[in-house]
Amino acid sequence: MAVYRRSTRHRFLLVLLVLTSITVITVDVRGGGGGAMESIRRGARDAFAPVQSTADDVINPVSDFFGGLFRYGHLKSENARLRRQLNDARGKVNASVNTDRERQELLALQKLTFAGDTPAVAARVVATSPSNFQLTVEIDRGLPAGIQKGMPVVTGAGLVGKVVAVSQERATVLLLTDPAFNVGIRLSGSGDVGVARGNGTRQPLPVDLVDVGTKVSGGEVVVTSGLQGSVFPPDIPVGKVRSSKVQPGSLQHEVSIDPLVDLTRLDFVKVLIWQPKSETP
Amino acid sequence: MNQARAKVPLVLLLFLVVELTVLDRLHVFGAGPDVMLLLAVVAGIVGGPRVGALFGFAAGILLDLFLETPMGLSALVFCLVGYAVGNIQGGVLRAAWWIPVVTTLVASVAGVALYALVATVVGQPHLVTPHLFVVAAVVGIFNALLAPFALRLVRWSISDATGERAYA
Repeated sequence: MAVYRRSTRHRFLLVLLVLTSITVITVDVRGGGGGAMESIRRGARDAFAPVQSTADDVINPVSDFFGGLFRYGHLKSENARLRRQLNDARGKVNASVNTDRERQELLALQKLTFAGDTPAVAARVVATSPSNFQLTVEIDRGLPAGIQKGMPVVTGAGLVGKVVAVSQERATVLLLTDPAFNVGIRLSGSGDVGVARGNGTRQPLPVDLVDVGTKVSGGEVVVTSGLQGSVFPPDIPVGKVRSSKVQPGSLQHEVSIDPLVDLTRLDFVKVLIWQPKSETP
Repeated sequence: MNQARAKVPLVLLLFLVVELTVLDRLHVFGAGPDVMLLLAVVAGIVGGPRVGALFGFAAGILLDLFLETPMGLSALVFCLVGYAVGNIQGGVLRAAWWIPVVTTLVASVAGVALYALVATVVGQPHLVTPHLFVVAAVVGIFNALLAPFALRLVRWSISDATGERAYA
């Protein structure tokens, strides 16, 4: 009898906790991630920011030490390889000064230097995602810097992702490789548009909705399309075409692209203070 | 009892700090350990279904604050895992050292799978992919390795309460 009563008590507690969780989930999902839940999250993240900074200060030297210890051989060979590359690069620089100047002029002519006149906030990546299921990074700027939800995040090389949460001290950036990420793109060669979506860490991004008739070449640069209502401004470089093929009988070109930015080694990024002109659903 | 009540939040916060600051450096194949899930499992092993469910719920809610998935999702999954582990492990009185380790491995894998499943139900359709197997395996192995340390910490945190738990 006692055993029976004990297990019903346990079960009552479990049911209570499960119902509480489900209520919280419902409130959050119904509220669209805004409202009370968002302010609670903001508060928690701001409160945690100094703890995180302190912990990083303590851990970084230690992890660097062990990293150096275990990868000594690797670092040595990498050093040699980098020296070789540097020599190669020096030669190439001399050869390419002229072409680079030409390219700059052409870019200036066509106004292709992406987002040149959009104000931007530089920020440092302070942490990656604590979850195995979301590809995000935390940056050390927040609301006071003018960052809002939905703003595009870039590096000099191209698109990184977009802001999905902001608090006073921190902002969370969803990387473009996250499976929940979609971006409207334009193929630089043909000008045809499509939609690229994330497919996980270090995976190429599949592109949907490219016409069968479109000519796609490998290595072609893909930029954001910035069509009306798009969540990104036009002409931010996104990636390079990795492969393209048409299955017999298929209605669309199967294109996949590699991101231009190395998303596993982000350090400094820029948040473009840019919001879509019209409201997007 | 008061002392025990202070120790439990301390351990929860310690795990949270470790989860958010140390573990993003330990990623293998795009996945890393999940010590909040580990906390739920270990609390179930040490304290039975009641303690497991409570620790799991608290650990999950804390973690949810720092994720973009719906608030309460981890809390729901972790409290179920803590409860289940407590119920299964409850019958074992003095286990060999490896039994908690294996339990942690199995429970962590099950926890990751359950998380992906529940997330899909509440409208996060991007989790059930082939990569899920890798994540489950990595989380399971890492958590199993960390289990002995977590066991000690959790046992210490509820040590005063165990005496008064007699009727609970």
